[in-house]
Amino acid sequence: MAPRSLWNGSIVFGLVTVPVKVYTATESKTVRFREVHAKDGGKIEHRRICPKEGKEVDSKEIVRGYQVSARKWVELTDEEIAAAAGPQTRLIDVDHFVPASEIDPVYYEKAYYLGAQDKGRDAYALLHAALEKADRAGVGRWVFHNRERTVIVRPLGDVLALHTMRFADEVVDPSDFDLGTVRRKPTGQEIKMASSLVEGLHTRFDPSDYEDTYREDVLKLIEAKAAGKNIELPEPEETEPADDLLAQLEASLSG
Amino acid sequence: MPRSLWTGSLSFGLVNVPVALFSGVRDRDLHFRQLHAKDHTPVETHRFCSEEDEEVPYDEIANGYETDDDELVILTDAELAAAAPHRSRTIDIEAFVDLEEVDPIGFDHPYVVVPSGEAEGIQRAYRLLVEVMDRTERAALGRVVMRTKEYLALIRAREGRLVLTTLLWHDEVRPTDPVPTPTKKDRPAKKEVDAAIDLIESFSCDWDPTRYKDEFQKRLRKIVERKAKGETIEVPDEKDEQPSPVPDLMAALERSLEEAKSR
Repeated sequence: MAPRSLWNGSIVFGLVTVPVKVYTATESKTVRFREVHAKDGGKIEHRRICPKEGKEVDSKEIVRGYQVSARKWVELTDEEIAAAAGPQTRLIDVDHFVPASEIDPVYYEKAYYLGAQDKGRDAYALLHAALEKADRAGVGRWVFHNRERTVIVRPLGDVLALHTMRFADEVVDPSDFDLGTVRRKPTGQEIKMASSLVEGLHTRFDPSDYEDTYREDVLKLIEAKAAGKNIELPEPEETEPADDLLAQLEASLSG
Repeated sequence: MPRSLWTGSLSFGLVNVPVALFSGVRDRDLHFRQLHAKDHTPVETHRFCSEEDEEVPYDEIANGYETDDDELVILTDAELAAAAPHRSRTIDIEAFVDLEEVDPIGFDHPYVVVPSGEAEGIQRAYRLLVEVMDRTERAALGRVVMRTKEYLALIRAREGRLVLTTLLWHDEVRPTDPVPTPTKKDRPAKKEVDAAIDLIESFSCDWDPTRYKDEFQKRLRKIVERKAKGETIEVPDEKDEQPSPVPDLMAALERSLEEAKSR
């Protein structure tokens, strides 16, 4: 079955337009729970309460507001918020290109696939081939769900992938976190031993080598509970803190 | 100081480093509250049990799972933690890989890994990991369980710290085969590809994230300011125009290149 597209529009680069359909590229496979009352399994409902009246408020009586001062709220409708997205356009204007390998992983937000529309498939094929050969990703802006985002478009196998990107001011600078002081830096010998440990564990990355075993563990736990078994609560684990680095590295290498 | 989202230890061979994870992303969005329309009282969300129609305190809420035969199985948070007690508290480094082999399609959420504890041993072990990953230019792979989900985690050195990016599992990335792609018939001619590459190259630059600003948030702030002054916000019409695909790709590429040159 063909998946349903989330958005239809065109990528524009130069005077070339590439009609595309956007599809979700990812899905969560997490075991899903819902909130229940522990003692009777009653479904938990989230109700909106006005604290002044102590009563539930009907959704028709609720508006969205932004607090501008202690007592003043500014009301905004969905349409007014949508106005911030700028002109609602069906175009993704790709106006420059970057080497994708320069982009740090922290900037990638959400992934989509671009499908070709029936018309203009030759333009899709051209953009795909040219990006692949030039080893570049196109950068543009995309208005989706009333929000404007920066996106990159890059070839991935036979398709084009579209990624929404985080803004620089959303990304935390790791050096904002202070480290404690050390009297002695790691020694040459420690670095050498740790490096050989790294090289010993070095492998080619193949995502299919890694399975989410936790999902199975959770389902087993559910089965056990359903069968009326008692779930033993785990004892806190004792981990040995790193005291004698060198001895621990030596033991790791010989083990 | 932000709150840590996970604490536990990072284990590399027999070396254990107590660490805390902090979000690598900060929220810059304007936040709205739900208000009672008549007097602008912020509305609160309370949890009620649908069986008894009574409010339920947070510590009486558990996780319900409906089995295929409609049976409800209830697990408390403590019981759920029994699913993988070790992995809920320890990130075992299983392998080291080259970052460029990891396709961005699986990148999920970034975190900063910070050593927890001032002890010399902890701080030195952390620095050793940073130093070694920096020198070897390798990224570590491990697993981390946060709340009710396990993630594959990619850990690397950046600016003298360790940063972690959770990765989606391979079965959480959808296959591309159902996505409609061009057929062999649509394959471009070599001269078209060459012209398109010329165009791409004439608009190429380095990746500079500071160049992109969140215009949506800026406009939203302005709208809030104007609304606060009592102005009316005009809602733009949806422009549903779909440009028709160009009939002659080569001609469009040539004209684009001329325009690029005359800039």
